[in-house]
Amino acid sequence: MDFTLPAEDDPRRIEIRSFFEDHPGASYAQLAERGYTAPNWPAPWGISADPETMIVLEQEYARAGIAHPMTFNLIAINQCGQSLLKWGTDDQRKELLPPALRCEARWCMLFSEPSGGSDLAGLRTTARREGDEYVVNGQKIWNSSANIASHGVLLARTDSTAPKHKGLTQFVIDMKTPGVTVRPIVDMSGEESEYCEVFLDEVRIPVSRRLGEEGDGWRITLEQLQTERQSMTKPGAIWGGGPTARELLDGLIATGRIKDPVIRGEAGRLYVEGEMLRLMSARHLSNKINGRPAGPEGSFGKMIASPHGQAISDLAKRSQGPAGMIRNPDVLPLPDKHFGRFSNWDYAYWFAPAGTLGVGTQEILKNAVSERILGLPREDDPDIKLPFDRTRRAAA
Amino acid sequence: MNFNLSDDNLALRDAAADFLTNEIDLAPLLVPGSTADAIDRESLWAKVAGLGWPALAVPESAGGLGMSLLDLVMVVGEIGRTVAPVALLGTLAGTWAITAAGSDEQRDRLLGPVAAGQCRLALAAADATGFHGAIPSVRATPSADGYILEGESHFVVDAPEADRIVCIAVLDGERRAFVVDADAAGLAVEQVDWRDITRKVAIVRFSATPAERLEGGWDAAWPDVRDRLYLYLAAESAAGSHAVLDEAVEYAKQRRAFGKPIGQFQAIKHQLAEIAGQVELADVGVQYAAWALDNRDPRASLAAAMAQAYASDTYRNATHRNIQVFGAIGFTWEMKNHLFYKRARCNAALLGESAHQHEEVVAMLEAEAA
Repeated sequence: MDFTLPAEDDPRRIEIRSFFEDHPGASYAQLAERGYTAPNWPAPWGISADPETMIVLEQEYARAGIAHPMTFNLIAINQCGQSLLKWGTDDQRKELLPPALRCEARWCMLFSEPSGGSDLAGLRTTARREGDEYVVNGQKIWNSSANIASHGVLLARTDSTAPKHKGLTQFVIDMKTPGVTVRPIVDMSGEESEYCEVFLDEVRIPVSRRLGEEGDGWRITLEQLQTERQSMTKPGAIWGGGPTARELLDGLIATGRIKDPVIRGEAGRLYVEGEMLRLMSARHLSNKINGRPAGPEGSFGKMIASPHGQAISDLAKRSQGPAGMIRNPDVLPLPDKHFGRFSNWDYAYWFAPAGTLGVGTQEILKNAVSERILGLPREDDPDIKLPFDRTRRAAA
Repeated sequence: MNFNLSDDNLALRDAAADFLTNEIDLAPLLVPGSTADAIDRESLWAKVAGLGWPALAVPESAGGLGMSLLDLVMVVGEIGRTVAPVALLGTLAGTWAITAAGSDEQRDRLLGPVAAGQCRLALAAADATGFHGAIPSVRATPSADGYILEGESHFVVDAPEADRIVCIAVLDGERRAFVVDADAAGLAVEQVDWRDITRKVAIVRFSATPAERLEGGWDAAWPDVRDRLYLYLAAESAAGSHAVLDEAVEYAKQRRAFGKPIGQFQAIKHQLAEIAGQVELADVGVQYAAWALDNRDPRASLAAAMAQAYASDTYRNATHRNIQVFGAIGFTWEMKNHLFYKRARCNAALLGESAHQHEEVVAMLEAEAA
């Protein structure tokens, strides 16, 4: 066991740092070319980075003041791009991955549906095969960045006579395809819209954009959601990103608010919890890069990290008193600006309720942890073995 | 960076697990109203000494094993997992105190018999409020052939069975550490009715008690000792939390109500899921603290305080949830659930509740920022 991070004179760090110094304000095309966008992927996409190099890279991105490409194209780089490495064809990889890694093509996920967020496998959007195409009809919702995405990873039902988990298939669609309509949703934070709803009306997708075989959709989706949750086990305020309890403490100390005994005790507890999450996240990263698949233990981290993130932005805000209820970005000093759009506590605070809703609600996560990790008996689901077209949900 | 335990670490843990699983019989403690004396602690200690556990933390120069703290928490974790009534804590505390405050000669002379399993230790450092800080309530004065002590120390773990007690006393306004033989004149050890009956805890009274002074100052030694005590308690607590989680999960699979296992109800399974997450974090916190102390990392004291804070909160929570899942049967003396529940609370109280460690953490961060 060794928790030491590569030192200032570690050759890997020197190499990375000198790249950033030689390329001030490096473009995302340059970063992708260099393999720094998805560093854990094998060549030619990444540099097969080991866990330490991954952490060094994150630190050096921050040091260079460059927002990590994941901040812009998380879905392509983290959640779904990896599926193409395993399930995609050579043509799909060559066509879709380079622009995604350069952050020119931004991706969104088209999974959740109205009236069926948590029961994802009960989705009702259909894709029927017609010659060399599939024809898609349905409606999706809570699609992050769908309004700016060029590509969408779609989960649709290709076989309504199979049980609900078995009849699903994934596609990568062009969001400009006729029949795709995107409408942003204004969330309660009132800041830039993250979420959208997407209407799919006789949308024609070439068979070449199918990921894996018909019926593989649920397995691929589960892998993506696990990878997504695993990336959210970091101790940041929102989705594992954004400022952490370290920045919270820095800010409370810098403003002197740490002297308030009410704030002080809670800040200490949150700092400890954040550090434990940081350690666990590093342990998981280590497992992941060492070739172990993204397992259900990723749910552990998000289950604790989401309420933790809510609690730290809550304390940051409460330390302001009533002044915190006026819209203001200067809740606590946050000198580092590499936290993307959550580079201020105000936004993180008013966005916070999303943290225990997205990527499966907190309740669904606890089901997953208790069933898949602890081995407790599954929830009753009367529909689980029925052909989908005979379930109550299909009829509703 | 590497987050995995080595094969050596795991072999040590498995050996300790095998030994304790075979040797520990909690049944005598589960007779209603029983006390710490219900167990044959002497023969258990003889076996532990035979395994060389008292030598684990003794430096090699004094004939010990000089084992790393990461290795040590493998063994301590198993003591926590089985709530074993093994009186190792007092001996480790005394060993760490003598190592930190004794001269080379004192260390080798005093710890040699400890390593050989012939001398058990205890550390008397707290006053009646449990406070380990500024001014101990014991006073030392020079005598013809050394020092004599006056006063009393409280919450002294394993004192009733100790052969020597390391006592912190005030000498000329300064905290110093002294060593007292258990059969010294004017020494009285009064066992208290400590709720964790897997441990013996006592008040130690000194009345013109002759003592040997350790050469080093205690103010400089105490942080090292405190960090190790935090680590010990945290390691017991993290592994104990894991044990009560596992038992509650097994029970929730077996116990049926309303036609199904109670573990199928979200009201039950969600509690257990939360505990599972906390157990994982407590475990990694303990391993990190052990590593940081072993490597004299600049953040080692911070890591130790964090491990103790997080693990003790987790243990208190997990043991309460464990009894809740078992239902009323888990509230009876005949079940072992309460042994864990009580140890969780006693472990959390011994060196100060988690709120105290949170305060220490914030103070360290303020010092870093200054």
